[in-house]
Amino acid sequence: MSQQSCGQLADAATMNAYRGLIKRMPVTMRPSLNQQLSQWEMLFPFEQKRLAAFFRGIESFQPSALDALTAPLRALETKMGVARWNFTETSETMENASLLARSEFYAEWRHDVQQIFSAIEAAASSAEPTQSNPAQPAPARLVVLILPAGLPIDTPAAWAQWDRRGQEIRIDGDAHRVSELLLQGQPGKSSSLAIQSGDDRSDLWLIDAGSDLNRHLPSSSPAYSLSYASMKDFRDKFLAAVNTVPKNIQATDQVLAAVRHHDWSQDWPAEFADQPRLRSFVIDLFLSGNGALIFSNAFVEWAASEALRRARPRVLIARFGLRSKPKPFTSIAIFENQQRISALPDVDDPEGSAIDALILARYVWSAAARYPEGEQTCGLCIAESSNSAWLISPTDRPSTWKTGQAVTPEELTAVLRSL
Amino acid sequence: MIHSRRTLLKAAAALLVDQWAVVHRSAFAAEPALNPDRKVILVACGGLRRADTFAETGVQNIPHLFHDLLPQSLFYSAVRNEGVTSHYNTNASILTGNWQRLDDWGKTPPATPTLFEVLRKQRGMAQDQTWLISSNKALTSQIRASSVRDFGPAYGANVIFPKQLLINAVVHAAAKGRAVHGTDRGSVQPEIEAMLNRDNYDGLGWSVFEESSSLDLRTLGVIEQAIHNLVLTNAPVTGDEFTYLVSAEIMRRFAPSLLVITFSDMEVAHFGSYSMHLAGIRTVDRLINELWNLVQTLPAYKGNTTLFALPEFGRDLDGSNTNGFFNHRLNDDSTRQTWMMCLGEAARKPQIIEEPVTHTSLFPSIGQILGLNNLDVAAKPLPGLLI
Repeated sequence: MSQQSCGQLADAATMNAYRGLIKRMPVTMRPSLNQQLSQWEMLFPFEQKRLAAFFRGIESFQPSALDALTAPLRALETKMGVARWNFTETSETMENASLLARSEFYAEWRHDVQQIFSAIEAAASSAEPTQSNPAQPAPARLVVLILPAGLPIDTPAAWAQWDRRGQEIRIDGDAHRVSELLLQGQPGKSSSLAIQSGDDRSDLWLIDAGSDLNRHLPSSSPAYSLSYASMKDFRDKFLAAVNTVPKNIQATDQVLAAVRHHDWSQDWPAEFADQPRLRSFVIDLFLSGNGALIFSNAFVEWAASEALRRARPRVLIARFGLRSKPKPFTSIAIFENQQRISALPDVDDPEGSAIDALILARYVWSAAARYPEGEQTCGLCIAESSNSAWLISPTDRPSTWKTGQAVTPEELTAVLRSL
Repeated sequence: MIHSRRTLLKAAAALLVDQWAVVHRSAFAAEPALNPDRKVILVACGGLRRADTFAETGVQNIPHLFHDLLPQSLFYSAVRNEGVTSHYNTNASILTGNWQRLDDWGKTPPATPTLFEVLRKQRGMAQDQTWLISSNKALTSQIRASSVRDFGPAYGANVIFPKQLLINAVVHAAAKGRAVHGTDRGSVQPEIEAMLNRDNYDGLGWSVFEESSSLDLRTLGVIEQAIHNLVLTNAPVTGDEFTYLVSAEIMRRFAPSLLVITFSDMEVAHFGSYSMHLAGIRTVDRLINELWNLVQTLPAYKGNTTLFALPEFGRDLDGSNTNGFFNHRLNDDSTRQTWMMCLGEAARKPQIIEEPVTHTSLFPSIGQILGLNNLDVAAKPLPGLLI
């Protein structure tokens, strides 16, 4: 089987070979693998590379060894009665998830699946030729989380719950300048961050509750940019479609599949033109819940966490925002569009938004730190309202600043760029 | 037990004993005889993490539970949900004493008899003596009775979803181009009443008095009064507020022997707003206190009522790959381990019980309080209760 290059289309023979390998896996592992395969072109280069490596890992097992590895899970599936379930093998469904989660053997099932994944991934990585030069340190990554000036953040109390490896630094100047300076390139050139990241768009992500970040990025810079504010019309239509979901798992799967495959081409903002992978990513976000369709800060958190999981970017900058207060009566129908239901004017909720953004920013950092790349990742959370930031340096590149030291936006961005 | 929780419980225990000693100097000279009119109110509160409630990091969210009610309660500090941590399955498990593994969205009834059915069958109670009033849209009227042949809907409870009524009224008004205007609560009253008086209220998923095709006049009166109270109150307009007001009216008019209330404002957590989740916790804290105060003012309840209040489960741990407080599906103590407060007649004396118990223990405990025999469940009754 040929190795797939990152981001390249897989040929039909390879796809067929992959499908054959999936059939060798236990039934309950197939939906996820089949779904990823069916959306191969919508996967980010990191996902494609990892999936291809996983298939090579399966292939590296002798049939008897693979049977032995998967035997406990197959036995468990028999005990669970999977054969009698209305279980979909071709894709992940809510019904599948519900059937598994309410099985009395669910915890055992999760354990067995994890065991198989770990063994196959280990086999894959031992079969993988070592590409990196051990003499060179792994490239640093950067996650910048911005709590904008409109959110009242009480520092240093706010930092007390952050990763204890970090330190507070004071920003001597306009904290808003940090993201501007980071994103700006030389006149007529790409952003310096984009240059570090190479040509792959998925290496640089800008995720914004408003529509501020993207303005600072030179148009020639390859990046994925998501603005909750600029997606408003699309979100409203999408939310209206999602709200037709009935209270029935099977019917919900059908409606969600219809929403997923609906032709939304007339409704996407212009910046999504020619970006099918990003469109697919956004639809996945909106259909996986977690408030991404309702609250801007939930969108920022979930989009950032999913981007980190799926694309492993070199640089991710996420900016949180301000939401409105829930309106009388419509707050009980929170999944509805409040602007449509209530004629009352929107009223900002800076205190509530600050509470939300602070914990959600921590969640994004947790997501970044969860993966092996976390060791090489520099995290920076900026509270613009108090000109303060929490800096977590990569393990092998400790900060030379003292805790509480004041640094200018220019000094800070120079250090971040040099990582 | 983690250190901070131990510290909190010690502080709570000291507070509890001090306040109890002042209020009940002559306590328990003689234990009260079993009252044939004993009543039970069970309040299940969606997903609440201990870290956001009974922990040093959370007590500011529950001032009434911690300062007003804990000192007079039998408090179980280690209540474990060992079943499916979804709303329908958990409530069905509490009500049946068996871990239920059903369709999460309430498509099928519980597989073993509910307290409602056993109570009505054994004691020959009328349907208006068992009610479930729920804010939670994950529940359906299927929870009123099991699929067991010798029990079933003939012995089921009345079930009402007041929040769904509010939602339907607001959404219906919007669909008809009548966006809800102004802060004048009175402007919403006609919308809700119009919804209530429509010929077909099936969309609300209610099941009241043998599934008749329209609300009977007594129940209609209850809800109309609750709507009136909602318009008059200064409290925030939330689904749980309305659920409370409907429950209060049910208590006044029917005085049921078993009333189950589920609150769910805190479930806004699924949409990712932690501040609104905390506001939901504070609402529940206030409403449970108001409920207990109401019990003291109603002759049918005062002195013979036991109130249980507990979260259905916790929520996922910060930093988990299931998105922390948003969800409740992690197989972890943060999600499975919670607490329970017992107030009133069967709470023998204020005490903190650290012995692990499970949600299913409520079935035999409530059953025995209400005089039921031969309860066929594996779960043991809760320790420390006067049964």
